[in-house]
Amino acid sequence: MAKQMKVLTEKDLQQVTVQQKIFKVLSQIALYTFLIVMAIIVIFPFYWMIISSLKSLAEYRLSIPTLFPKEIMWGNYLQAFQKAELLKLFKNTIIVGVVSTILSLVITIITAFAFARLEFKGKNLLFSMLLGTMMIPGELFTITNFTTITEFGWYKNPNWFEGYAVLIVPFLVSVFYIYLLKQNFMQIPNELYLAAKVDGTSDFKYLCKVMIPLSLPTLISITILKMMGSWNSYVWPRLVAHKDYYLITNGLRSAFTDAGSGEADIPVQMAAVTIVSIPLFLVFIFLRKYIMKGVSRSGIKG
Amino acid sequence: MKRILAFALLFVMCIGVFAMTGCDRQQASAQPPVGENPGEQGTQGEVQTDEQGNTQQPTPQPVAYDVPSVGYDGSEVTITFSHTMNATYQGVLDKYIAKFNELYPNITVEHAQVGGYDEVRDQIKTELTAGNQPNIAYCYPDHVALYNVAKAVVPLNSFIDSTIEVTDAQGNKTVLGLTAEQIADFIPGYYAEGAVFDNAGTMYTMPMSKSTEVLYYNKTFFDANGLTVPTTWDEMKALCKKILEIDPDCIPLGYDSEANWFITMCEQYGSPYTSAQRGKYFLFNNDQNKAFVKEFRSWYEAGYLTTQELYGGYTSGLFTELTDKNSYMSIGSTGGSMHQRPEATDDGYAFEVGIAPIPQVNPDAPKAISQGPSLCIFESDNKQEVVASWLFVKFLTTDPAFQAEFSMTSGYMPVIKSVENVPAYKNFLDNADGGEHIQALAVKVGREMSNMYFVSPAFNGSSVARDKVGVLMQYCFVTPADDVDAMIDKAFKDAIVECNNAQ
Amino acid sequence: MVDSKHQWKAWLYLLPAIILLLIFTVWPIFNTVRMAFTVYWDAEAPAGFDEDGMQLCDENGNPLWGKYQGYTISKDLGNKKLADDDPAKVKFEFGLDNFIHVLTYDGFWTIMKNTVILCVLTVPLSTFLALLIAVCLNAIKPLQRVLQTIFFLPYVTNSIAIGMVFAAMFNIVGVNTTDVAASTSVGIVNTVLMVFGLDPINWINQGSTYWANIAVMVIYIVWNALPFKILILLGGLQSVNKQYYDAAKIDSTPKWRVFTRITVPLLSPMIAYVVITGFIGGFKEYTSIVGIFGEKMQPPGAAVGVPVLQTMVGYIYDNLGNAEGVASAAALLLFVLIFAVTLVNLGVSKKKTHY
Repeated sequence: MAKQMKVLTEKDLQQVTVQQKIFKVLSQIALYTFLIVMAIIVIFPFYWMIISSLKSLAEYRLSIPTLFPKEIMWGNYLQAFQKAELLKLFKNTIIVGVVSTILSLVITIITAFAFARLEFKGKNLLFSMLLGTMMIPGELFTITNFTTITEFGWYKNPNWFEGYAVLIVPFLVSVFYIYLLKQNFMQIPNELYLAAKVDGTSDFKYLCKVMIPLSLPTLISITILKMMGSWNSYVWPRLVAHKDYYLITNGLRSAFTDAGSGEADIPVQMAAVTIVSIPLFLVFIFLRKYIMKGVSRSGIKG
Repeated sequence: MKRILAFALLFVMCIGVFAMTGCDRQQASAQPPVGENPGEQGTQGEVQTDEQGNTQQPTPQPVAYDVPSVGYDGSEVTITFSHTMNATYQGVLDKYIAKFNELYPNITVEHAQVGGYDEVRDQIKTELTAGNQPNIAYCYPDHVALYNVAKAVVPLNSFIDSTIEVTDAQGNKTVLGLTAEQIADFIPGYYAEGAVFDNAGTMYTMPMSKSTEVLYYNKTFFDANGLTVPTTWDEMKALCKKILEIDPDCIPLGYDSEANWFITMCEQYGSPYTSAQRGKYFLFNNDQNKAFVKEFRSWYEAGYLTTQELYGGYTSGLFTELTDKNSYMSIGSTGGSMHQRPEATDDGYAFEVGIAPIPQVNPDAPKAISQGPSLCIFESDNKQEVVASWLFVKFLTTDPAFQAEFSMTSGYMPVIKSVENVPAYKNFLDNADGGEHIQALAVKVGREMSNMYFVSPAFNGSSVARDKVGVLMQYCFVTPADDVDAMIDKAFKDAIVECNNAQ
Repeated sequence: MVDSKHQWKAWLYLLPAIILLLIFTVWPIFNTVRMAFTVYWDAEAPAGFDEDGMQLCDENGNPLWGKYQGYTISKDLGNKKLADDDPAKVKFEFGLDNFIHVLTYDGFWTIMKNTVILCVLTVPLSTFLALLIAVCLNAIKPLQRVLQTIFFLPYVTNSIAIGMVFAAMFNIVGVNTTDVAASTSVGIVNTVLMVFGLDPINWINQGSTYWANIAVMVIYIVWNALPFKILILLGGLQSVNKQYYDAAKIDSTPKWRVFTRITVPLLSPMIAYVVITGFIGGFKEYTSIVGIFGEKMQPPGAAVGVPVLQTMVGYIYDNLGNAEGVASAAALLLFVLIFAVTLVNLGVSKKKTHY
């Protein structure tokens, strides 16, 4: 290294920096081109969703779709609001989303804590079994779970508790979130825990005072993922939700079908979908920093 | 390594638990496909009698249902109704539920749109496993066959024949069943659809609203070129040739549904398609059917026609579109007539649409497929719910005002003849034209075809046959082959094997 | 040594999760296993016989045993009528018939072929692309936030919209198989190809080739997988200690060397995670194929028999209706497959993962 430095004259150095600069600019251009091309590809369906929501049904049905609506139909949005009782759907979705997120967070935290910090027999075995359940195709759970909630009496003529419980309870435990948070907890130095023990701090206090604040980003990203899950879930709510407790997705799918031909009025449906996506989009924009941090802190290990 | 061991252990444990519970018959008898409680309706096994009319067998009797001797006792019941109606149609339904409640104030009708027809079927299939089915549902015949595996559908003959008197809230006395006039008021083909499930005449469904396939044609183009509307397939072939000479760029005919086409051709030729007899379900592999498939393949190759799947877009789109390559005829459902009309411009519609019955093999024995939802009633522990459901089904299917208004809203055909006595409906039909009032025209032509309707036998899995013949038709059209007969032969055989596999 | 008081406490923390899992996850799994090993027949529905007790055969003269709704029909029972209370009327037995049914299904190898091809193509491709995008995103300053947001957009785009747009992009209307360019009109992908002077390709319509179909599926699946993978990898990158890079800078190590020698090893846990979940997802592929080809799982008229793009989950869904036993057996086989592949993956990543 040192030898090389000596050989280089000032002129050479200048040349090198010019070359480097050109190279840098070129590589930056390549970088941006690549990213922007990929971004255009990735964003296309989103764009499609929005332009479709502004087309007339006849235009949407053209055999080769137009890239921009010939006539912008704002009326689709009005129709979406009127037809689907969106306010009721929003209310239900928000209740289910918030309640299930809070409960799910509590369960995830205490379970991850037990796995990360407490010692008990069969811990690794139990945790591996939890991971194993992730590999089974979820479709198979549906029928048995449906029978179960029926046995609980949550299906027919539900009161408000049962109507919401049926949408919330079966999905409170997520092995994926437990895994994510456990990895995060494990990265908090053990010394802190032992020190707390010496101080006589209880496990629970330690969890609340130290571990939760330290893993806040992960918790926030779990919150957002869970919220999005409630927002987008479709198969299970369609099967079990009572009419009064329909979620956004149920309402959307069924509100705009033309029973004559069984065809969906897709532009209006897209308008409704766009309305529904906006809150999610805003949440992401505002909390982007936390989502990124959360995922990076979890330090996923194979 | 530990983790690998744990995975293996999990797997072993699963099997272990099976060993504990697996052989438990009590547990296992909760399995969905085997109905737990056959109820009062006898068993399917007895109903399925020989189609050939075996002389040793007594004449099969429709399955009976034990109707409560008091009829409807006036008690408060809530009945649920699963359907596919969108908000507009539900508006009509709600209006008539209110009228129904003037007669029976203690019967609360709760209804919900589940989604499309397939979603209704899947939902109820799952609900049946837990005994949670609705009281009434929109259905197609193959759905009913599926529900009947669990013996969950109420046979309606005992209700229809019932002479028990029911007094409604306004003091009118009526019979619980249907009067002879009411039965005669139904369009016979539609009413008969309720009894396709066995050969004993057991009614499992009542028709609700119907559609059929019709030929939409570009009347403006036909008139300008002096073309006549084809009534037979031979005429259709000649016409396609002629249209191609006039406009070499077009595809003269678009047929929406390959499956409907295949089934309709079987019926028009009188060749077998399926039967409702166990073990003899799939009969469509025969020379007559191969012959028409081969014939239409040659049409397809000559550029005479296309179908929705093969075209890659709506055939109605091909028909109404003016900028692209287009077609001058389109065969599709009366329910979708709005889509067969070109987009309105400031000077009205780009062309006038004509509607005619579909072409036939034998014009003296015309056949056209009958589609559209029927209503079925499900078993319930509370017999009064079943009776109340019957009253509601009877109301929806026999009330001319409801049938007329529902038809005008949806473009579906009413199932009774007396709608013509409703002034608004008469007016609706009189205004029928190939532009603004195309729905009325489709309904009008569809109603004139009432002597042509047929339905295929329904059994659990009849929809598989339907799917397969659709694919079969596509495959035989598009697959290149040196020996066309051999290719078609093999395709038919494969389709039969697939149907049996799916059983 | 773990003291017992502590143990008791740990289980208390675990209690809610365990109860819920037992009810809504473990019990359905047991139920699945039980159904898979249960062979049952309804003695009242002897499908193999007609009313006269004659055995029914298929066209080739083979008896129709066991071909009715996934029930296995007993050979000894025949058409005997049983009393309603006869315990033999509905009978359940332990047996492997459901598994045999799946393994001898004509389409089993089609399913395996499709699964392996899709996994082998999509997992490396999507991982590599996601890694590339993540590294590039990490290397830029202006526009970083905007681009990050864009790459996350598919997450908030409704799945109905995504399926429809992809089908429309590759569609050809009024396809002319002998001369695709002469077709009525083509979707945007072919329009782009033509702008570059290339011949349009029949991607998904009638007469399209298997590999064209697979290409579309690969593009769709990779596209679908990108946002999550980018998120995970970018998160990983941002937590990588900058010191390693500074050291590399001083050494003036070439960029690609930095990438292969520093970035990839440091990210290896995330990459391993992304690959493993990618394989698990690949084996469970179904909805994406339905999204483009519909529930027929193939281009129109491609095959009369087994759909050319059939997958395991598609097969499970087909049987869920009237043959729960077969569906369960197929699901268990799928589980065993995923399990085996995951073990291999874990084995490989243990060797390759640095940390």
